[in-house]
Amino acid sequence: MPSRLVNLRGFLLTLILLACVAAAYKLSRHTGPALLQIPAIAQSNNNAELTTHFVSSQQNISTHAASLIELKNGSVRAFWFAGSHEGAGDIEIRSAVFDGRQWSKERSVINREHTQQALLRYVKKLGNPVAARAPDGAIWLYYVTVSLGGWAGSSLTTMTSRDEGETWSAPRRLITSPLLNISTLIKGTPFTYSDGTIGLPVYHEFLGKFGELLHLSTAGDILDKQRLSAGKAGIQPVMLIEDPQRVLVLMRYTGAPPMRVIATRTEDGGQTWSAPLKTDLSNPDAALGGVVLPDGRMLVVANDIEQGRDALSLLVSSDKGVSWRTVYQLEEQRARPGTPDDFLRNTTKLALSTDAHISDANVYAQSVQRNQCVAEHCAYEFSYPYLIQTHNGDFHLVYTWNRSFIKHVQFNRAWLDARMKERSDVAPH
Amino acid sequence: MSHLTDLTGLFGITSLLAALVLQVPRIQRLPKRHLMKLTTAVFAVSLIPFFGLPLAAYVRGMVGDLSITTVVLAWAVILKPCWETTEFKQRDHLLMLVALTAIFLYPMTLGMSLVDPYRLGYSNRVFVSCVLAIGIAAWFLKSNLIVLCLALATLAWTLGWYESTNLWDYLLDPLVATYALGLLIKQETRKLRPA
Repeated sequence: MPSRLVNLRGFLLTLILLACVAAAYKLSRHTGPALLQIPAIAQSNNNAELTTHFVSSQQNISTHAASLIELKNGSVRAFWFAGSHEGAGDIEIRSAVFDGRQWSKERSVINREHTQQALLRYVKKLGNPVAARAPDGAIWLYYVTVSLGGWAGSSLTTMTSRDEGETWSAPRRLITSPLLNISTLIKGTPFTYSDGTIGLPVYHEFLGKFGELLHLSTAGDILDKQRLSAGKAGIQPVMLIEDPQRVLVLMRYTGAPPMRVIATRTEDGGQTWSAPLKTDLSNPDAALGGVVLPDGRMLVVANDIEQGRDALSLLVSSDKGVSWRTVYQLEEQRARPGTPDDFLRNTTKLALSTDAHISDANVYAQSVQRNQCVAEHCAYEFSYPYLIQTHNGDFHLVYTWNRSFIKHVQFNRAWLDARMKERSDVAPH
Repeated sequence: MSHLTDLTGLFGITSLLAALVLQVPRIQRLPKRHLMKLTTAVFAVSLIPFFGLPLAAYVRGMVGDLSITTVVLAWAVILKPCWETTEFKQRDHLLMLVALTAIFLYPMTLGMSLVDPYRLGYSNRVFVSCVLAIGIAAWFLKSNLIVLCLALATLAWTLGWYESTNLWDYLLDPLVATYALGLLIKQETRKLRPA
């Protein structure tokens, strides 16, 4: 046997044995599953209160997919994407801060050019941003980037901020799929596990449409990925965490009629999930937002209709998601399509009722007309709700307002209880 | 500032681009010293910025980071003119293994069921043990190329060579899977043809 071959065989044996040792070391350091963590929420003041504002103020652009995170001083920071139109190369992630009274001037957080420079790979467009709080206090911003094709070709990119979102680290890519790393998108609210690791509800849109759950280490590395549904029926999971063991996940329905929200449930802290089933909540293939109150009631914001996104409801379940009762109609424009002129007049009124301080409601309405009217047909859209409860007990909701602005609704527990009392005679569904 | 994983990612892409250029029949006939110069030139051109990004970064944007298997196969092509060896002749065994794995992995990752084999790549003890057991078995069977790919892929995964923390991404990618499946289909259709 030639000595060169013996040497090669010896080298390969050494290499594979070295791989065994290295893998054993890596596996020994891999942490196991952790329990889910319930955030501590205080009781808010007793005066029933609901206020509305516009978060964004840029005119004549397309604005979509807002999310929120509570800052250390109790303020709330919003993120969303905006540009000439959805999917355009000029889309950037924008942000503003609500100090309890008003929203700061919005500013750009990251754009396509900076993202691709930092990732050292071509990026075509940006999409949904969602923020999470790490145990060391840093904010992790996750956002969708696309290099190839449409939204089905999405990947996730992340960056961190140690000064509450004022400045950000260079973006880095998360690898979440074996197929060219395509088709992982984000919309749902992140949560933390008892060991400080982060749970990220994500979804897949290429050929199959299903919900997934990413488990990330405190350093931002992916530890695990779980599938929440399969096939083509459910995306954009929203985690409603009842206690460290029990979670109800609601998902946007993307299948055939009847159009209903899809739900799956765990009773063992996410080790296993039930088969996804349709609920009684209507869903026109549109995103939801939701939280669980400290008393166990579930609060969801959804387009509780089978078609369109021109109505948005606040719904409560007192029986762990079995039945739902509408407690407040956030938006209702189903009977008002009208001509572009009617649409302009009505949208001006709606803009003023959202934020009485705006001096140029007509300009707001014209921005909406630009995005929502095609020829003589105009359509309202109130979509992509994102709901959080801050530590003082207040609720903050943001959603896309006619694809042109981000609307913010703030309310407290007293207001919610009053609404529930008023609507107690309404039959649940 | 670039991360180390960006550099390793671009290295994989440039390796593939160089290997593809060297596979062109007319280029294969060039003298050895010209081939080496050409390889160096491909590496250099791949890293020259066009509109702010190296050419290789555009390819990386489309295909992502390449598996260690693809990089090993690319370097087998690059080194062929200066290192003729018969010790890595079991390329077909490796490609058969890649093709069979791809047939199992990719359809399942598209949501056919609630079972996701890609999840196994996140430090699943049984899966990692199986990969290494196949590597050791391949050593006994003298499938040197399989041993090399599995050992290097596992080592690269433990070292965090790429951005991915999933072992699957070090073992195979859609490019090598498509190549392996294409080759497999070609071989099978040849067998079916009448002599």
